Amino acid sequence: MENSNIVKSGKKTFTEEQDIFRMNTHFKRLRLLKRIISHIVLIVFALFAIFPIYYVVITSLNSIGSLANATLADLLPSARLSLANYYSILFHHPFLLWMKNTLILTASSTVIGVALSISSGLALSRFRIPAKRALLYMLLILSLFPFTMMVIPFYFMFSEFHLLDTYIGLIIPYSAGAVIYSSYLIKNYVDNIPKDYEEAAQMDGLSRNSALFRILIPMARPVIVFAAVIAFMGPYTDYALAGQFITSKGLYTLAIGMYYVSQGTIVINYGTYAAFSVLMGIPIFILFFVFQKYLVSGFSLSTYK
Amino acid sequence: MDNRKKSSLEFRGLLYVLPVIVVLAVLDFYPIFESIYFSFTDFNSLHFFRYGFVGLANYAYIFASSDLRTVILNTVIWSVGSTAVMVPAGFALAMIMNQKKLRGKYFYRTVYLFPWAFPAFITILIWSNMLAYNGGVINEILNAIGLRSLDWLTSPHYAMLSLILVNFWLSFPYYTYVYTSAVQSIPHELYEAAEMDGYGSLSTLTKITVPLLKRQIAFITIFGFIFTWNNFYVPFLLTGGGPGISTQILITYSYLQAFSYSNYALGAAYAVISILILLVFVIVSNHYTKMMSILY
Repeated sequence: MENSNIVKSGKKTFTEEQDIFRMNTHFKRLRLLKRIISHIVLIVFALFAIFPIYYVVITSLNSIGSLANATLADLLPSARLSLANYYSILFHHPFLLWMKNTLILTASSTVIGVALSISSGLALSRFRIPAKRALLYMLLILSLFPFTMMVIPFYFMFSEFHLLDTYIGLIIPYSAGAVIYSSYLIKNYVDNIPKDYEEAAQMDGLSRNSALFRILIPMARPVIVFAAVIAFMGPYTDYALAGQFITSKGLYTLAIGMYYVSQGTIVINYGTYAAFSVLMGIPIFILFFVFQKYLVSGFSLSTYK
Repeated sequence: MDNRKKSSLEFRGLLYVLPVIVVLAVLDFYPIFESIYFSFTDFNSLHFFRYGFVGLANYAYIFASSDLRTVILNTVIWSVGSTAVMVPAGFALAMIMNQKKLRGKYFYRTVYLFPWAFPAFITILIWSNMLAYNGGVINEILNAIGLRSLDWLTSPHYAMLSLILVNFWLSFPYYTYVYTSAVQSIPHELYEAAEMDGYGSLSTLTKITVPLLKRQIAFITIFGFIFTWNNFYVPFLLTGGGPGISTQILITYSYLQAFSYSNYALGAAYAVISILILLVFVIVSNHYTKMMSILY
């Protein structure tokens, strides 16, 4: 009796173990399959994401006279790679002048636009401003309007003040362009910072205003950086406005130069055009990767509201 | 020190908002109203200095022309088509990368930054070369695997498809990042509790993630749609609205009328029509989703 009991219970645990073992392998297989599919999807998208950038970089290192002469063999690194195209775009074309103009325009408008947005974003988040809801709706509705709609009125407005074909004539509308989205972003982010910090600072004797600015600006750094990167990007690649405003060659921006090259108005060979693209893209590219960690934290849409 | 009644308004706060209000008044409201006014005049290169009020003549002309229907239809195909692929793809990638213990997620996330980090203005032009009929790398690849070349940008059948494809490449990283940031705002405890209760990935998704992010999803989708509706550079640089007007959307058509044909009044009228449609869309979609409530 005792013996058979032991045998029975032994058998029972054995089958139970087998079942658990079978279930485990089933789940493990399922999990493995999920992992594999995840990686396949992620890799396909990674290749898709990277291919055009690879294409332009490899083209810029090759010597291809025109697009029609390009072949698939040009996509592979070969012994013929050289920096000749870079030399050509830097020293035989006004690339550096265009870069200088572009940086003057973008840097000044980013600083002005972001400064205005910090002030309004903090105030919209922390003060009980009269008609706040109306203001927020107004910002939102303004963001529906395409900037191309402003091009015609801007043109006449700035020609009245003789600001066409000048730096200032572009810096003013560019700064305004950054304000709407940036104010919004900063307001949203600051909403999620607890008020305890400023209140503690006020207890320590800081005035409300300096508590706000001295405490909140450093804390809102991720969103400020994010807003600045976005604000920088718009003017850096603007053609719609600059193309209509700027007529003298000495004031051309990179975007105007690139547009004329792409339309064949300015003729350069295909490899040099690719080098132009790479050189124009690199500053923004570096900016993005340096501030990558802010991109996720900077864009916070609060969940529990 | 300060009076903290709930109802007291702080007019002092207006001081900080004032610069932005002034900027918006001068550089947004004034031009917008001027543009709306232009749409009721005969302002063009012929009447450059002495344009006058013509009432609804421009709108009557536009509504009588067959172009309007085509252009609106194009705009809708373009916006719906783009939104329908880029927003779900971003969501899916964010969910895939949000798996615990998935190896290489930072690597993937960094690689996905490439299309976003490289200025769109440039990459659109790169794509236009890649999609070129002769020498374009996409056709070269098609030929290499035994398929014939396609008129990616120059045939009315494929042009819109190409625009959406390029826009997909440009935008999916942004949506991946936005959804990653949204999903990370959900407390870990909820997921741990779900795991304890034996929820699988699918039920975690449908019972936790989606319900909690409902408003964000609505907001992101609707603003993605609006942004695409107003997205000027992809059609402008890739096809210029061609062939014919088969990829002309409202905003590029407005720009074309104003700056290629110097018909400023007609350009302005097209812009006004575009805004009116968008406004109706925003009001209706907000009514159903209440997405604006995440703003305040």
